[in-house]
Amino acid sequence: MQDLDIISVNIWHIVISLANLVILFLILKKLLFKPVKKIVDKRQKEIESEYKKAEKTQAEADAIKAEWEGKMATAEAEADKIISDAVERADSRNEVMLYESREKADQIIRKAKADIERERKDARETIKKEIVDVSQTLSEQIIGREINMDDHRDLIDKAIDKIGEEQ
Amino acid sequence: MSIVFLILSILSMAAAIAVKVMFVPASDGIDISGAHVFFTIKMPIQDLPITEAQVNSWCVILAVLFLCLFLTTGLKTRNISIRQMVAEWIVEKVTGLVRTNMGEYFEGFAPFIAAILGLSGFSSLSSLLGLFPPTSDINIIAGWAILVFFLITYYKMKAGPWIYLKSFGQPQPLLAPLNIISEVATPISMAFRHYGNVLSGSIISVLIAVGLTKLSNSLFSFLPGAIADFPYLRIGIPAVLSIYFDLFSGCLQAFIFAILTMLYVAGGFPAEEYAARKKRRQERAAAKAARSQTAGKHADN
Repeated sequence: MQDLDIISVNIWHIVISLANLVILFLILKKLLFKPVKKIVDKRQKEIESEYKKAEKTQAEADAIKAEWEGKMATAEAEADKIISDAVERADSRNEVMLYESREKADQIIRKAKADIERERKDARETIKKEIVDVSQTLSEQIIGREINMDDHRDLIDKAIDKIGEEQ
Repeated sequence: MSIVFLILSILSMAAAIAVKVMFVPASDGIDISGAHVFFTIKMPIQDLPITEAQVNSWCVILAVLFLCLFLTTGLKTRNISIRQMVAEWIVEKVTGLVRTNMGEYFEGFAPFIAAILGLSGFSSLSSLLGLFPPTSDINIIAGWAILVFFLITYYKMKAGPWIYLKSFGQPQPLLAPLNIISEVATPISMAFRHYGNVLSGSIISVLIAVGLTKLSNSLFSFLPGAIADFPYLRIGIPAVLSIYFDLFSGCLQAFIFAILTMLYVAGGFPAEEYAARKKRRQERAAAKAARSQTAGKHADN
């Protein structure tokens, strides 16, 4: 067999070459581009779903965090309230106690005063009686005669009252 | 599993080398000729000789096929292998190239551009294996260029044949013949550019090899006997030139062919007219649908 001339045109060669290019195009399309595109798309989808999942988890975490923060805030407020309540209660009890003790003290004082008053009254009565008796005796002895006891007593009482008023 | 495909891919190139070694008679490297003809099939119009160019391009296609299978076995969505990275890189780069040069509408062209790059590049690079590069056969490139021409024309016709015909009369009806010539010249220039670059590379390589042999013989003629006949200057120097002519030029021409395909197809596509036509069609379809609906109502009444 011999070689071809350096430039030789053959219609069948041209057709075969054209077909070759089309065949290689189909091979590359079916065996390289299609699978690679498919896998790239799949990866893209996977990444998107992963992102979505991550965003969802993040949102959930944020919600839980917010909830906890809220709870913490209310808990603090509650604690403050409890403390202030306790303080208030303690204060009021203090006051009550103070009031009660003052009341008691007042009562004691009043009672004491009343006692004193009564004692004094008693004492005055006694003294008055004594004075009347003494003055009666004295006046009987001085005057030497019986005095109408009732008149006498009346007189002395008046005198003593006058003295008491002058005092 | 995937390694089997890699081995098959390499084997298909090895098969091309084996065919060449078995059936192509060794030459002195001085003759400049076309591809070796293995056998000829009787066909109408013209006989079909099966040459090195055909066999090598089929081997390249097989190699690319197995390479694709090798790259795309066991694709995963995470923890990807280096193979998958390479596959994704190729797809991404070619798609990006097509998108920047042709726009979103032509994104389906990515595998076609990849096919041009792969077939042209690997065909040119097969000369590194000592094979006859199919791209230095005018018929191979002509086939691709004609396919590109069909594509250009198809996309120009997308907005209607009337607009396509009218585009020849622009900017002046008098320039119509020139426009027609430039239209036809597009695939021819593409084919000749690519083919001429690769073929001239091999021719220059042969010429330089011959020249270096002669120079080395005359320089080392003082050496005794057979030692003087050895072409010392052919060690290394042609390899450096081969880096340009086979590696660089081959890749560059593949890239240029792909870029020109993209530019011509996208540039010839009358996007505005096409959009207008599509809109008109939609409106017409909507009007028709509305009419048929009212007609149906009338029929009901």
